[in-house]
Amino acid sequence: MKFLKLENNDELQANLFSFAIHLALFLVMVFSVGWQTKTPYYGEVELWDTVPVQKKINKTQASPKKKTKQKQNTKAQKSSEAKAKAKAQKEADIKLKKKKAAEKKAKKLKKQKAIKELKKKVLKQEKIDKLKKEMLEKEKVERLQQQIIEQQKIEKMQAELRENELKQQKKPALEGEDEVKGGVNTGELNKYKLLIQQKIQQNVNQQLCGLDYITLEFRISLMPTGELLGQPKMTKSSKIKSCDDAVERAIIQSQPLPLPKDNGLFSKLKNLELKFHPNGVE
Amino acid sequence: MNKFLNVIFAGFLFFSSSVIHALEVIEILGGKASQIPIAVMPFKSFGAQKDIGKINSVIKGDLGRSGLFYPLDTRGVAASPNSDKEVNFSQWKSLEAQFLIIGRIDSIQKEQIKVSWSLIDIYKQQTVLSGEYVGKNNQIRAIGHKVSDKVYERLTGSKGVFHTKIAFVEKYNNQKFKLNIADYDGYNITTLLDSKMPIISPRWSPDGKKIAYVSFEKEKPVIYIQEIATGKRKLLANFKGNNSAPAWSPDGKRLAIVLTYNTNSQIYLINADGSDVKRLIRSRSITTEPSWSPDGKEIYYTSNQGGGPQIYKFNLESSEVSRVTFEGKYNLYPSLSYDGKLLLYLTQDQGKFKVALQNLQSNQVLKLTKGPLDEAPVFAPNGHMVLFVYKNYGKTTKIGTVSINGLKIDPLPLGSRQVQEPAWGPIKN
Repeated sequence: MKFLKLENNDELQANLFSFAIHLALFLVMVFSVGWQTKTPYYGEVELWDTVPVQKKINKTQASPKKKTKQKQNTKAQKSSEAKAKAKAQKEADIKLKKKKAAEKKAKKLKKQKAIKELKKKVLKQEKIDKLKKEMLEKEKVERLQQQIIEQQKIEKMQAELRENELKQQKKPALEGEDEVKGGVNTGELNKYKLLIQQKIQQNVNQQLCGLDYITLEFRISLMPTGELLGQPKMTKSSKIKSCDDAVERAIIQSQPLPLPKDNGLFSKLKNLELKFHPNGVE
Repeated sequence: MNKFLNVIFAGFLFFSSSVIHALEVIEILGGKASQIPIAVMPFKSFGAQKDIGKINSVIKGDLGRSGLFYPLDTRGVAASPNSDKEVNFSQWKSLEAQFLIIGRIDSIQKEQIKVSWSLIDIYKQQTVLSGEYVGKNNQIRAIGHKVSDKVYERLTGSKGVFHTKIAFVEKYNNQKFKLNIADYDGYNITTLLDSKMPIISPRWSPDGKKIAYVSFEKEKPVIYIQEIATGKRKLLANFKGNNSAPAWSPDGKRLAIVLTYNTNSQIYLINADGSDVKRLIRSRSITTEPSWSPDGKEIYYTSNQGGGPQIYKFNLESSEVSRVTFEGKYNLYPSLSYDGKLLLYLTQDQGKFKVALQNLQSNQVLKLTKGPLDEAPVFAPNGHMVLFVYKNYGKTTKIGTVSINGLKIDPLPLGSRQVQEPAWGPIKN
């Protein structure tokens, strides 16, 4: 029974809730909707494919009877509405056009931006490539330079040697010193030493001396004619027989060696020690 | 008394040292890469065939081909002297000859000859070397090569290679292939193998008794080793994939070979009996064309690990890899001179393939040839000459020698044969 009682209570509550909701919905309907109590105004609209050219209205025509006036008013209203509509249409078209143009512009800008970025990227890549290329070139050049340095090592040393000898030749004259030492003109002496060196060097076949840095020493005695007095005497061997022989041949082949006519100078050069470095010095 | 002797000795030392100091010293650096002018006279024939005396042309050819000698034209010179006592030295000096070779050929038995010869130093005006060889009439070229070897060794300090053999592949009838063996100058050709399938990469064993080569007769490249004397051969490598580029170790006990197996070309080591195969270098890049250093401690090879093909070396003890060639974008086909000081390879220079030589001490590179399509350079066993394949665009392939100073390039007289893949045999003791 108690259960039934409870059931009845619930039913009552539900009914009350339903009534409240319906009432609320009715009130919302009454107050939120603007009920039309007056006859609505209406107008006729002619639809034109194209807007006709508006005729000038004469003043005489414009001051007429009331009916005509009303009619005219309606017509004018109609025409102004059409005008407004056309204007609105036009504006809408312009707006659409503008919008389209803006979109187009935006697209174009976007595209340009993308191209710009791409160009930038390409330029960047090109820059990197260029840098890489430059680095490689630099490396290549450095390597080449190193090789050239290696290749010219011998020539450089020879040049230095010659330069030193030339300096020694020039030195006394420049400093106003006495060129004659112990009765011998040192400048002349160095000149002949250089001439002898050049003549023998041209005949040394370095191919027969291997690739290592080696030194050979020979002593020679010369006649005033520049011919050898006896055979060259080897005082230090390269330990390569073919090289020792090649250098000895170079000395013999270089006869007659250039010698000064001056007896004092000749006496300085008649006995010489020749030091050979066929593959240069380390 | 002792004091007195000491004083005298000291005085002597002082005097002698002052004499030494008084001696003018001239330092001479470097020199020139010149050729030794040498005259080789026709050998006089006593009882032997007359044309046999032209042995001098064999000797002239040998010495000239080395690039270290300049054989003189002796056609205008009167009779050849019989000994150094008969030599008119001033005449030879005026011809700028530094050395003179003279000789005679005596018929000692039927078909048997004795060749006597002398090398005379024009500057020293004396005989510096002489010798005798006995052989058959048809061995005259071989005797000439032996004379050249002796002269070469006496004057250059390096062993001559004029009595060695070469191997090369000949393509004939457009489809068939021969593995030929010949004298180093292309004479006396014999065929070791005749095959319908291509043969490539012949390599002499260090003792000169066997040749390893790659044959396509199994419809893929496999490696054989063939005995020269008997013609017997055995299959060394027929592993999955390609088997190629055999290279004998200096002791002849092992070979470095290239297998594709499961991956790209990789270098493996294998015993000469075909046992104990193991991979040498673990690399994702291609490693190929192995070549041993003379001490057997390093293997030089071609790899594309840096992009283009370059030459690298692998140390067998430390497993260290280092790049060897830096000049040019395309360097391949390495081989080393007998002393390990020079590296020979093929390089691409201004679009042309040329033979290049690199001094491994100074890293200087010398291009020995001008290309445009040179191939497969290999060293002579004394490292003074190079055997290589060369051709002009669309023309016949030739095998030739080039001296390592680049002064002399000589084609082998192989006529119109289509030849390729040369290999130079060792010097036989």
